[in-house]
Amino acid sequence: MNKRWNLFSALALVLGAAWIALSAAAPGSVTGGLTPAPRRGFLAPDLALEDSNGQLVRLSDLRGRPVLVNFWASWCPPCQAEMPALQRVYDDYGEQGYVILAVNTTFQDSEAEALAFIEERGLTFPVLWDWDGDAARRYEVRSMPTSFFIDADGIIRDVVIGGPMSEGLLRAQAEQMLQQMPQER
Amino acid sequence: MLPILNLGPLALPVSPLLLLASVWIGLELTERHAPRYQSNPDLLYRLTLVALIAGLVGARLGYAARAPQAFLASPLSLLAPQPHMLDPWSGFLAAGLAALIYGQRRQLPLAHTLDALTTLLAVVAVGLGLAHWASGDAFGAPTRLPWAIFLWGELRHPTQVYETLAAVLIAAAVWPGGRIARLSEDQGAPGARFWAFIALSAAARLFLEAFRGDSLLWFGGIRQAQVIAWAVLALALGQIGACLRSRILNAGPK
Repeated sequence: MNKRWNLFSALALVLGAAWIALSAAAPGSVTGGLTPAPRRGFLAPDLALEDSNGQLVRLSDLRGRPVLVNFWASWCPPCQAEMPALQRVYDDYGEQGYVILAVNTTFQDSEAEALAFIEERGLTFPVLWDWDGDAARRYEVRSMPTSFFIDADGIIRDVVIGGPMSEGLLRAQAEQMLQQMPQER
Repeated sequence: MLPILNLGPLALPVSPLLLLASVWIGLELTERHAPRYQSNPDLLYRLTLVALIAGLVGARLGYAARAPQAFLASPLSLLAPQPHMLDPWSGFLAAGLAALIYGQRRQLPLAHTLDALTTLLAVVAVGLGLAHWASGDAFGAPTRLPWAIFLWGELRHPTQVYETLAAVLIAAAVWPGGRIARLSEDQGAPGARFWAFIALSAAARLFLEAFRGDSLLWFGGIRQAQVIAWAVLALALGQIGACLRSRILNAGPK
């Protein structure tokens, strides 16, 4: 019995080792950052939206800096709740190169109410307007708020669906992505 | 894929809910089957609870340790109910240590306890596969096979389905009263059930990892998870061999 077991074990391990060698990944066969998808480990789908000043902001132009893309709406209580923390993080890390893009889902919100909310809370980070829902579709936004943490190479490092996000999480993500900046570039 | 379940104003994350449900079901079944493995159901329940709490605390502290300045600036965030702020490895380490200390204090026999806990592990493995399906994690490599699913911009292997099916088959193989489980239950080889579960799970991971699209690669495209699974398989096969030897020795003088 014992000999048979030893033989079986040895055979299983040899076959296992052979399978490891045979199934070694070809270049590009695993995630990579080349396929755009709204998912951790993938290239962030590009965005080109107007900000409150009518300026076109393109996500791909921000390559080289870590970016937080936050989808929000003025009627959404968790979105409202996390905005003060977003502002504090922007105040503390913005000068180091950390970018926050708050994409208002204008196709299901009111621009006037969103502007009033921004004014009332004194938000200074860029707010972009998703008029036709194209950005929300590209990012497969199913729930509000949804946040994408994108590193300096344009790769999504984390996705947080729902909220409000704690300030600790926002700060930790900002610090980690800013620390990785010099190594990744 | 169903990452979020929108119920009125509530947005429920499906993946953690599935995992919690699997832990609950697994615990219920473990308690029910505990006497087969000469284990006390109440002690097993407490052991699992201690490990879970220690695991959660360890995972949160491990995450905070990665960016201490962030949590010094906002210490209350340590208590925020957010699954994103967990470091899995710190959690496993803390849970394992807590379980070890509790088990030693209560003088729980290791092999019998591990056999009894195998039910919980087997159910949670199925829950993990379903959680991956819900969140789209552990996704497959691109393929043109007829059963490919469209996920993250490409047609891919449905690895979450493979993983879940494998977990169900493994759970069935080690289920109480089955041929493998009886080695531990009444054939004098305590620990055999647990190590068989580990060996089967490692073998499944070793095989299925080849179809994953998110593998961490080493030199030459070798997948890290496969190498670790191979090492775990070797350890588990050795331990099963030891269990079988002890059975023969125990049976010898009779």
